[in-house]
Amino acid sequence: MSADLASRPARRATVRRAARHRLLARRRLELALLLGPALLLFGAFVLAPIGIAAYYSLHEWSGFGPISDFVGFDNYRRAFEDDVFRGAISHNLIIAGLSLLIQLPLAIALALLLNRRLRGQGALRLIVFAPYVLSEAITAVLWLLLLQPDGAVDQTLQAVGLGGLVQPWLADRDIVLYTMFAVVTWKYIGFGIILLLAGLQGIPSELRDAAAIDGASPWQATRYVILPLLGPTIRIWIFLSIIGSLQLFDIVWIMTGGGPAGSSATMATYLIDRGFRRYQFGYGSAVAVILFLICFVFALLYQRYALRRDTRGALAQGVG
Amino acid sequence: MRSLRLRTAVAAAMAVGAMAVVAACGSGDSSSTSTGAGTSGGSTGAAASGEPVTLTWWHNATNDPLKTLWGKIAKDYEGANAGVTIKVQPIQNEQFTTKIPLALQGDDFPDVYQQWGGGQQATQVQSGKVADITDQVAPWIGDIGGIADGWKTDGKQYGVPYSQHVVGFWYRKDLFEKAGITEPPTTLDELNADVQKLKDAGIAPIAIGAKDRWPAAFWWEYFALRACATDTMQQALANVDFSDECFVKAGEDMKAFMDTKPFQDGFEGTTAQQGAGSSAGMVANGKAAMELQGTWNPYVMSDLTEDKELFSKLGWFPFPEVEGGAGDPHAALGGGDGFSCTTKQADACAAFLEYLVSPEVQKQLVSSGATTLPVNPEAASAITEPTVKDIQSYVNDTPFMQTYFDVALPTDIGQAVNDAIADFTVGQGSPEDVVAAVR
Amino acid sequence: MATVAQRRPVRPRRWRMRRRDGSVLGGVLTWMAVVVIVVVTVVPLLYVVLSGFRSTGQLNTDPVALPDPWVWSNYRDILTSGDYWRFLLNSTVIAVIATALAVGLGAMAAFALSHYAFKGRELIYGVFTIGLLFPLGVASLPLYLVLRDIGLLESPLGVAIPEAAFSLSITIVILRPFMRAIPQELFDAAMLDGASRLAYFWRILLPLSAPALSTVAILAFVTSWNFYLLPLLVFNETSHFTLPLGVATFQSQYSQDTARILAFTALSMIPSLAFFVFAQRRIVGGLTGAIKG
Repeated sequence: MSADLASRPARRATVRRAARHRLLARRRLELALLLGPALLLFGAFVLAPIGIAAYYSLHEWSGFGPISDFVGFDNYRRAFEDDVFRGAISHNLIIAGLSLLIQLPLAIALALLLNRRLRGQGALRLIVFAPYVLSEAITAVLWLLLLQPDGAVDQTLQAVGLGGLVQPWLADRDIVLYTMFAVVTWKYIGFGIILLLAGLQGIPSELRDAAAIDGASPWQATRYVILPLLGPTIRIWIFLSIIGSLQLFDIVWIMTGGGPAGSSATMATYLIDRGFRRYQFGYGSAVAVILFLICFVFALLYQRYALRRDTRGALAQGVG
Repeated sequence: MRSLRLRTAVAAAMAVGAMAVVAACGSGDSSSTSTGAGTSGGSTGAAASGEPVTLTWWHNATNDPLKTLWGKIAKDYEGANAGVTIKVQPIQNEQFTTKIPLALQGDDFPDVYQQWGGGQQATQVQSGKVADITDQVAPWIGDIGGIADGWKTDGKQYGVPYSQHVVGFWYRKDLFEKAGITEPPTTLDELNADVQKLKDAGIAPIAIGAKDRWPAAFWWEYFALRACATDTMQQALANVDFSDECFVKAGEDMKAFMDTKPFQDGFEGTTAQQGAGSSAGMVANGKAAMELQGTWNPYVMSDLTEDKELFSKLGWFPFPEVEGGAGDPHAALGGGDGFSCTTKQADACAAFLEYLVSPEVQKQLVSSGATTLPVNPEAASAITEPTVKDIQSYVNDTPFMQTYFDVALPTDIGQAVNDAIADFTVGQGSPEDVVAAVR
Repeated sequence: MATVAQRRPVRPRRWRMRRRDGSVLGGVLTWMAVVVIVVVTVVPLLYVVLSGFRSTGQLNTDPVALPDPWVWSNYRDILTSGDYWRFLLNSTVIAVIATALAVGLGAMAAFALSHYAFKGRELIYGVFTIGLLFPLGVASLPLYLVLRDIGLLESPLGVAIPEAAFSLSITIVILRPFMRAIPQELFDAAMLDGASRLAYFWRILLPLSAPALSTVAILAFVTSWNFYLLPLLVFNETSHFTLPLGVATFQSQYSQDTARILAFTALSMIPSLAFFVFAQRRIVGGLTGAIKG
């Protein structure tokens, strides 16, 4: 009896340790089962190609024959020395900046205005969201046709007496980038409005009533109560918008190919044009890695500084 | 800790594994995972030996009339050669530049594919998959004359042309009449004078599709042809070295010409062939008086207008003489379309190409309207349009035919030159910048 | 007690609106905004649809006008040609496979990342987010080579599988916080009842996550539907083409026939828009859910 008493704690400990090992092993199995397939798929079809592209970037390779010409970081140096590439970077930054300056306030204003109970609210949401559903290719083809000289846009402007505003939308080097921005806005503003509407609906109406009762004007209520509460949503939108601006490709490629004379080039059109189209896959891959690193650094910094305080709160709210 | 290392190791192993597989396959020939679109075995698949042969044929005629015609010609060949099957695959022209390098990467390449020759071809030959058919074509290649040289690399025949083009001015006779121009210009001064007359009559003198880049290249290349002596030109292209003074002069001549503002408004954003707003569309609808383009242009134009009388209103004249240049005043810029064979079924492919340059096929090409200039001189008799006949005799008489630079040069340099010229045309960059693009 | 009841406004909505906005101005602004939004959004789309009923000649002479006469041949030829339907079928098959894969594997991974604690979890989550930062176009050549070596060229799987892989990123980024926000009590109760984690996942978590799941499914479907570059590389045979590829090819093939291109474009917009109508309740609901948690 006494022997048992003495050894029981030790035996219990052993049993517990064994049970924990079994549990851990089972957990590992479950993890492998749950996470494994996704990781495998992701690794083979996303990570591996990215890795291979990085490998190409260190070589000069025409796409024909073996990859044999190792040039180290030469491609990277060449890219930064190229005026057109530097110009492309600035174009991406301009578009990102404009989306913050123009698209964001516009989306917020429209979302606020549309937040009332309106007849046909569902239909309105549908209409606003519709351009987002279209593919970029179709959007580009559509606007390419509309923006032709003396095309639909020009004729409409003339019809309403605004003929003086008619410009060579796609031919004038000073204007073309802003034309691109306008088309991108058309396509994506709906998404922003819907996102913000969803965020607005998360704000309890009692808060607004309380503000009104406290004597706040509608403007003050908006500025001090609603906007701060919309913060997490706005920050998510900013993140997606900037990443999107940095990676802008399809619309520009189809509408202008980056021209005239590189005045609407983005980093992505540059890498397809100067890299792949010229059969310089090493160079193109280097530019792609640069683009990736820029996005990566931005994402990292943004995550740390802008989203950090949201993370804890957002976890409860459900947006990472 | 352990699990992190495990996971990282697995991911790293996968990436490295994938890279190793790709490097091994990219560097050589061993890949056995060919999903070959219908190619059967036998590298000597000559129909005569009785072995069944299937040839995969990639051509760029996604439009009629050529699309239907190629289909018919394939069927005719199959009928005449028992055991041969031809799998015809029309591929959109712009997609060739993407698809061919990819296809030549592995074992999955077509047997016969569209080839424009020159430096582009030389780049593709590097892959080791394009077949040297010098021996196979030797018996009959002489029938089509010197144009076949454009499809030689390192002195060996790697492709065969089936049609030629030449670049010149297509103009509206009715608009010229309206502006009081009685005869097409033969010198640059006369062209400048005509441009002025057209402007005075309120007509856009010259249409250009500068957005697509290659139309602008035609202009610069012709100015270069007028400024540079023939051997200088040939040397420069062979050595990829444009340091001769004459190339800068070409740019300066072109700049002087562009300073007279001969092009339509907004030309920087105009395409060459897409829609009525394109340069071809403008001439087709009488919105501009002329365009410097290839012999394919009338057929492009006819789709862009409802005007049934278009062909009767069109005339052609060659690029005028330019004073002070060392170049031959009658040298012409042009090129052609052709096909290359790949190594898997080179013999069968070469036999098929022989059929394509035969007089019977060439005559069909001419009369269908699909291609205006045949490579086989015997077929020239089938040409009925007077304008086209004029062009044909011009081509026959020209002392020197230069291939478009972006075809003659290696692809990356050719594209760089096009870009530089395009920039120069819209007013960005100097004559020296164009030359500098050729590194 | 009476005071508490009185704190809530007696008259709903209209009274509140007037108090808040102070005037009719807010209402007017709203209507103006609505009109502008509708016009700017709908008119370009209407233009495409209507122009399909004109001939290219009509378009060339007068870009902006109503069809006169109405030309039925563009739409009719496309709808009867078989090409359009084949493209539609191909796109559907590929999108369904890609969506099923992305959502299925993504949900499992998100569950693992939200309900299990292990070292390197945040790192793996970070790795998945990399997919958001890399433009697919760049990876296309290496991806092509990988597909070729696996023998997936010219096959719908060769497009669906990489699409699913790239969609994993946004799927996991949306699903993980959603799954985390499911109350701990449910999980504890299930564990107490003796259920395994996997059973909890299958029987409780997934049904509860329905709004988020439908959101990511729709996003994955639409993304796959609109993909252009990958099918371009993988398919040579026209019969395998998807709809966006068909539009682009059609556009180059008939580049001179503007009216026909517009008709084809209009027809290609319809599936996306119809799908959106069908699913729109889910999208907005799902996004609302994801944001509110």
